[in-house]
Amino acid sequence: MPEPIVIVEDLKVYFYTYAGVVRAVDGVSFEIYEGETFCIVGETGCGKSVTSRALTKLIDPPGRIAGGKVLFKDRSGRYINMLELDEETLREMRGKEIAYIFQDPAAALDPLYTIGYHFIETMRDHGTIRSNKEGIERAIELLREVAMPAPEVRVKNYPHELSGGMKQRAVIGIGLSNMPRLLIADEPTSYLDVSVQAQILELLRQLKEKRGLTLLMITHDMGVVAEMCDRVAVLYAGHLAEIGPVDRIFMNPLHPYTQALLRAVPNPTRRMLKLEPIPGNVPNLASPPPGCRFHPRCPYAMDICKRERPKMIEVEERHRVACWLYAKR
Amino acid sequence: MTNLKRFLIRRFLTFIPTLIGVTLLTYVIAFIIPANPARFWAGGLKARPDVIQMIIHEYHLNDPWYVQYYYFMKGILTNSMIDPVTGYHVMSYILSRFPITFQLALFGFFFTVVLGIPLGIISALKRDTWVDALVRVWSLIGVSVPIFWLGYIFIYIFFYKLGWITIAGIPYPPKTITGVPIIDAILEGAWPVVIENIKRFILPGFTLGFASIGVVARLTRNAFLDALNSDYVLFAKARGLKKLRVYGHALKNTMVPLVTVLGLQFGGLLGGVPITETVFGIPGMGRAMVQAIFSLDFPVLIAGTFMIAIIYVVTNLIVDILYAFIDPRVRY
Repeated sequence: MPEPIVIVEDLKVYFYTYAGVVRAVDGVSFEIYEGETFCIVGETGCGKSVTSRALTKLIDPPGRIAGGKVLFKDRSGRYINMLELDEETLREMRGKEIAYIFQDPAAALDPLYTIGYHFIETMRDHGTIRSNKEGIERAIELLREVAMPAPEVRVKNYPHELSGGMKQRAVIGIGLSNMPRLLIADEPTSYLDVSVQAQILELLRQLKEKRGLTLLMITHDMGVVAEMCDRVAVLYAGHLAEIGPVDRIFMNPLHPYTQALLRAVPNPTRRMLKLEPIPGNVPNLASPPPGCRFHPRCPYAMDICKRERPKMIEVEERHRVACWLYAKR
Repeated sequence: MTNLKRFLIRRFLTFIPTLIGVTLLTYVIAFIIPANPARFWAGGLKARPDVIQMIIHEYHLNDPWYVQYYYFMKGILTNSMIDPVTGYHVMSYILSRFPITFQLALFGFFFTVVLGIPLGIISALKRDTWVDALVRVWSLIGVSVPIFWLGYIFIYIFFYKLGWITIAGIPYPPKTITGVPIIDAILEGAWPVVIENIKRFILPGFTLGFASIGVVARLTRNAFLDALNSDYVLFAKARGLKKLRVYGHALKNTMVPLVTVLGLQFGGLLGGVPITETVFGIPGMGRAMVQAIFSLDFPVLIAGTFMIAIIYVVTNLIVDILYAFIDPRVRY
């Protein structure tokens, strides 16, 4: 059994806006094991992106990390709390230990600089190259690794001269340029054509195998989850609803939200006659419902759901759920 | 490079209709003023009829407006027209005064850039604090306060009360190279003359640039904030780039909209020149144009308008060329 590379304990990220305190992530705990692909799924605004960014404190005001711990296993095997690191150490961790790629590759690349420059600055600021010439050589190698056609040419191109799929390949290459151990892919295929999506997912899988990366995928696409992930965390309105191995989540979803979610999208593991939307709306996180945040939309809601937040319960091996239905009475 | 040449030729060709349009409009406005310039030029009420006839003949004043316009423009462009009021060749007269105006605009532009951009950046970095509010209020005051009022207030404070500046005479360096006093003085190393010029122009320049400072500060603030909130800055932070480099990305992207506005502001500064020069008594092209209005001196007025129009289109051309250096997406 591999050890966790990241342990998140009771993470809280709040946004202090004029409309009040938005509890975007409110007491989320999970761990990511070395070498696995871990997925966080949920609807837009459920806090999945914020969770992933909080791992390296990449939260801008008015957002603030209001509590919790993020333990990261460094190369010597010790766990360090990312949230207690100073700005400079965090900067060194970002990109070198934990790398990010984002959903819109066209926006992630600075339009005024060449692809090669993006590589060079990323490696320069982490001291992994000594000269720009070495940087270009490394950039070409990396572009080749992400299967970019004609990397010697592409390295001199500007972002607008590349197609969407090529841009995302470049972004992945740039992200990997300092040999990070954890790659956080925040909806890496959402902005791409369907035909390119599969290629990018395949690329991520290959890179992960080859480099022994740990992959954290943020997605709302159950197809991507089934395709890529080893374990899944289902997030609802800033709370963790359910966490478990991917096959258990699909075969035996425990939380009513997970069940509803799987009925609302095409489920690769079973035949479905029609899709059912989840009734109701996502709650406003500035004034979320008390107790279980899903209870206003839950067909099984009980009195206790409205009063108390359910704790995580391990129902089967490595498969935990936060729901009163499974509490021992 | 051939692309650039083609682009330049194309742009120069578009200059022609612009310049014709501007001068024609000015001409038509001057033409429909119900005044008798020939009589005025000949000496007003006591003018001798034969002199009036000579002037009408010389300036084609009895011909249709398009014929008059043609002779006006020909006279200005070939510098063959003699100004009926001042007695100088019209274009020589305007050109002799232009360097002073250009120097004034340079001072105004200097303040616009040196104060406007940093204020905008500080405003963005200190968003929603009192610093930001102060800059916003300044921008609002800047675009609302009329130049002539501000000019007199400044003269009162800095000349009359404090005596820090001079408001008479233009110090020239010993030799003329470009014709612009401060540039010549710098080129020749005549530092006392440089300082004299600064003392003379700092206040009019600041007055002239006052509105632009506010406009540029606001624009810089918004463009810089947009850049800071962009995905490429997030990605830059997520890659662990050093803080300065992250800001470098944001700043360079801020330059893209800024360059356009700076170009327009430079043209706009020239528009403010007549009032500033009149208030501060600077013998430049703007004041010559104001005087020309009072003496129905249409040739000088049109020649001045022509110069301003040329500066405007040339500035825009420079902006377009600069654009391509900053933004690789721009192609000619």
